[in-house]
Amino acid sequence: MDATAEFYSLQVKDTPAALEEIRALLAANDLALDEQVETFVVCRQQGRLVACAGLDHATIKCVAVAAQCRGEALSLKLGSEVVALAAERGRFHLFLYSAPHNLQFFRGWGFYPLVEVPDLVMVMENSPVAIRRYCEGLARLRRAGSKIGSIVMNANPFTLGHRHLVEQAAAACDWLHVFVVGENASLVSYDDRFALVAAGVGDIANLTLHPGSDYIISRATFPGYFLKETKIIEHGWAAIDLLLFRRYIAPALGITHRYVGSEPLDVVTNRYNQDMRHWLQQAESPAAAISVVELPRLTTGGRPISATEVRERLARRDFATLRELVPTTTLQFLESKFADAVQTAP
Amino acid sequence: MKGQNPMEIIKDSIAGTLESSDVLVKISPSSTREIVINSAVFKQFGKQITRVVTETLDQLGVATGSIVIEDKGALDCIIRARLQTAVLRASATQELNWEKLS
Repeated sequence: MDATAEFYSLQVKDTPAALEEIRALLAANDLALDEQVETFVVCRQQGRLVACAGLDHATIKCVAVAAQCRGEALSLKLGSEVVALAAERGRFHLFLYSAPHNLQFFRGWGFYPLVEVPDLVMVMENSPVAIRRYCEGLARLRRAGSKIGSIVMNANPFTLGHRHLVEQAAAACDWLHVFVVGENASLVSYDDRFALVAAGVGDIANLTLHPGSDYIISRATFPGYFLKETKIIEHGWAAIDLLLFRRYIAPALGITHRYVGSEPLDVVTNRYNQDMRHWLQQAESPAAAISVVELPRLTTGGRPISATEVRERLARRDFATLRELVPTTTLQFLESKFADAVQTAP
Repeated sequence: MKGQNPMEIIKDSIAGTLESSDVLVKISPSSTREIVINSAVFKQFGKQITRVVTETLDQLGVATGSIVIEDKGALDCIIRARLQTAVLRASATQELNWEKLS
């Protein structure tokens, strides 16, 4: 490594000029600038930008090193800098996206492979034990049965549609595992979403409710999911989330089926349902296939019930018609949470 | 030989770097003590590294925690120093028993 190599971090939104240099370096390495990266660690040598690594919350991506600088020393320093930057921000459990052929390179950064979409992308994490420990925790909640169902829901918030899906799935299975998406990126906070699901399914005997995790529809495993309000859809990235489910979560719990509501309204979720069928059931994998069951949505007045619709009515403070869409527990929560707005409404 | 005032691992921490002749230590809370060592020179020095790590943790009285060592051929004294730093950062300890930090 050249002694003049200088490493520093820069905020994407504050440095448009440097961003163009980063964009050029990434392009030379067949990479596009990921709009979700907030901070880049960069290396300059004699004024020239020769290496970069992007950080998006707890995920490292957009890593590139100029061809003439690919000595090990510079790369390891880049890795150290970005890991240290994440630690300064309180992020210790890190994920990393890259092309599968870079696996050995990032093993040198202390990252371990989780899953890969062949020839496209792989995800690694900076722990040799974290996924195993998570699966051991799940395995303790394993239930006997030949048909073990699963549902992953954001429940933002929990609707009669969710309730219908859970009821149908629980009736069809020996046991049902329900996961609530853990990311706090929705209108209703994670704690509230979880509490509303718990209240809404408490009477179903053959069901375990699981907290969310970094490995299920999280910012780390499926960044595109949380951008749907802005209509940005990143194809291919749902695959990572689904392969993690198939390879690690489903085997730990003995899950054989995954249930999902049909999705006529939301384009991202609809696309996710299609991807689900492909990656859980059809794609070749060392992990056993999981049967995907898409159940028709519960409707009211000819329209499917969706959390999106609930949020729209909530935005209009239309509490009177909300009761058609949500169970009493959710309605009471929404009324108390948005009570001020109700009182000031004309 | 455990220390008299065991250091409890209550949060995540890192210390060190991935650069040559250094070591990156990652610690996180866990109900058991679990050590994973990944070293470029494990074949030659794996036993020695394991001994240094175990001894250092014992001296500090670290009974639980997940300890991951990414070694790039660091000398024993460097491994010890990085590990001590990571443990201090991961524990709530304000007062240091310097005698334990040999």
